Amino acid sequence: MNKIWLLFMLLSSAALADSKQPDAQYCLVCHGSAAQGNAAIKAPNLSILPDWYLRQQFIAFRNNWRGSAADDAHGKEMQAVANSMTDAEIEQAIAFIRRQAPVKLSASLSDQADLQQGQKLYQQCQTCHGANGEGNVQLNAPPLAGQHNWYLVQQLSAFKNGWRGNQSDDSYGQIMRQFAQSLPNEQAIADVVAYIDSLPPTQPLVRTTP
Amino acid sequence: MSNYFNAPLTRRQCLGLLAKAGSSSAVLGAAGIFGLTNTPVSASPVTLKPLQGKNRKVLILGAGISGLTAAYELERAGYSCKILEASHRIGGRVLTLRHGDFIDELGTPQICPFDDAPNLYFNAGAARIPAHHTGILHYCRTLGVELQLFSNHNKNCYTQDDAAFNGQPVRIREYEADMRGFIGELLAKSATAGSTLDQPFDEQDLDKFIQFAQAYGDLDSNFTYRGTERAGYAAGGVTSPAILKQPRPLPDLLRSDFCTGAMHFAEIADQAPALMTPSGGMDSIVKAFLRQLTTPIQLHCQVSNIQLQPQGVAVTYLKHGESYTEKADYCLNCIPAQLVSGIENNLPTDYVAIMRQLGRGKLTKIGLQAKQRFWEQEDIYSGISWTKQDITQIWYPHHDAFKAKGILLGAYSWEPQISDRFAAMTHQQRLATAIAQGAKVHANYAQHIENGVSVCWQRMNHMLGCGAVWTEELQKTGFKLLQAPAGNHYLIGDQLSLHPGWQEGAVRSAWHALADIARREALRSTGARA
Repeated sequence: MNKIWLLFMLLSSAALADSKQPDAQYCLVCHGSAAQGNAAIKAPNLSILPDWYLRQQFIAFRNNWRGSAADDAHGKEMQAVANSMTDAEIEQAIAFIRRQAPVKLSASLSDQADLQQGQKLYQQCQTCHGANGEGNVQLNAPPLAGQHNWYLVQQLSAFKNGWRGNQSDDSYGQIMRQFAQSLPNEQAIADVVAYIDSLPPTQPLVRTTP
Repeated sequence: MSNYFNAPLTRRQCLGLLAKAGSSSAVLGAAGIFGLTNTPVSASPVTLKPLQGKNRKVLILGAGISGLTAAYELERAGYSCKILEASHRIGGRVLTLRHGDFIDELGTPQICPFDDAPNLYFNAGAARIPAHHTGILHYCRTLGVELQLFSNHNKNCYTQDDAAFNGQPVRIREYEADMRGFIGELLAKSATAGSTLDQPFDEQDLDKFIQFAQAYGDLDSNFTYRGTERAGYAAGGVTSPAILKQPRPLPDLLRSDFCTGAMHFAEIADQAPALMTPSGGMDSIVKAFLRQLTTPIQLHCQVSNIQLQPQGVAVTYLKHGESYTEKADYCLNCIPAQLVSGIENNLPTDYVAIMRQLGRGKLTKIGLQAKQRFWEQEDIYSGISWTKQDITQIWYPHHDAFKAKGILLGAYSWEPQISDRFAAMTHQQRLATAIAQGAKVHANYAQHIENGVSVCWQRMNHMLGCGAVWTEELQKTGFKLLQAPAGNHYLIGDQLSLHPGWQEGAVRSAWHALADIARREALRSTGARA
């Protein structure tokens, strides 16, 4: 690669800095009009997630703890966005998400899941995530209740197969990965997620969305 | 499946799907598109009766081709329209990039670095129009859009495959001439040996068929292929005797996947010559609509709620952080279905469930500015070179020969895995990859390229996909449902056509909705419930 080319690369990086439209509405394109998530984009419900967890996940994407696997197309999408944002923009985005009222999601229980089995499996989860899936900031465990079941399945699989929790400097991810690996198969994941799905909402819900 | 292209539906399969999905008139119209019937495609496509003083408001969500088509037809009939567009620009996936344009790709925003010159533009979205796309051509004709010929197939372009010819590029002219030569030889020899089809075939037919095989392959009198001028001369041919090129052995030709894929690309109904494209860029069509439209188009309006009401539709949108609600008699919704499913709504559950199942079309295009038109030194003017590498294609501009610079298409793939790989790169990595791979087709490629743009459509803001991906099963169960109105709400756009990714699909889906509105208005005027 010649010098002119390198010069161009440097110049175009400078252009990039000017080309962003700082606009937190961006989040809602993928994550839904009330940050409630969108199954078609595989984008999770952000409205139930506390500020500290949102901030931590921006860091996780930037640190390559999430989105590093070659075939994790959805993780890579969010990683590209996280990498393009400044710290100030991240704080703006979190503040913007905070203004979105949590919305009730349609219950989407899988009829193949065993709720009782799920409840048993959840016992190991509740130490960190709380008996009602409300999360625990001291343990860096996010709330689970109110999250889309398809997203929880996807993330348990991601921890299990090493898309998450597989980096030596991601200590919280590593802990979660060990628990995910203790779930023997897809049925166990479906069962535990069905149980989480059955937990009552832990926050007052203002609106409903189909 | 090869990475060159997905196997297209045959027109019979396609009509079969349409017949299952739509009304008989839809089938008739489509048959017109494919040239299977003698029914002329109507010159006056939409017959919206003028409202004659009645007041009807229509909200159109999205300023792409389907939205512009709908607004144009509705306002002419006296409907009062407004277009809400989420992005910073009009045109949707008709995106012609020029100097200074902002490319709003999530995570990879860019400013188009091309020089500021009329010939330096890149159609990053829609790029070509086949002659049977009479819907979009209707607007080109009536709105005065100047067209040029566009070529998918240029014999002087190259095919490159690491598995064949030591990875060296070979002129399509040579490859096709040799391939046809051997096919002709096989045909002629098997026909003379008496193997024929299981159908009536007399001596006269056989004789003609052998002549065909001879002509097809350019065979000698012994029905043997010994090279042809079709491959171009090795030397001479004008003021000195021509020397033919030596044919490449058939096994060598077969090592390349060109013969099982891209060699037949320009046989696809929508890709076959002659194709057209507007002079100066595909967005000439958008500009032509805008010259006529009086309908206001509001940019940066991101829809956040769609509510069906007994008499109409209420749409809430965010503009610069403020929320606004508008009500209308009808809503024509061109928002990609995968995004609608994330917008609060009271649409029927089965309707939204189908939207959630539609796939996101993954498609990447890279445009490169070359400081010399080096391809002209290689006798290439327009057309496509093909390679088995991820870039898949290189397009040469069909316009502005001999100008100082030019814009090449440096990569175009609609293979999802390939587009995922490009999406995972930074913009700089994408350009470096496009240049490194292009160098297998053109030596010294890197020294000619000055800058470039990359567009991964599955990442483009407010779109997140290029053309809805319908599985065959979902098409059977969901297309008709999604095509029908939900209350006074219509989902339209190329996503609601069997031509996703084509402007023709966008135009015809708009017409489909407008025809239904016309029907309901006619019923309303008789006092019946629409």
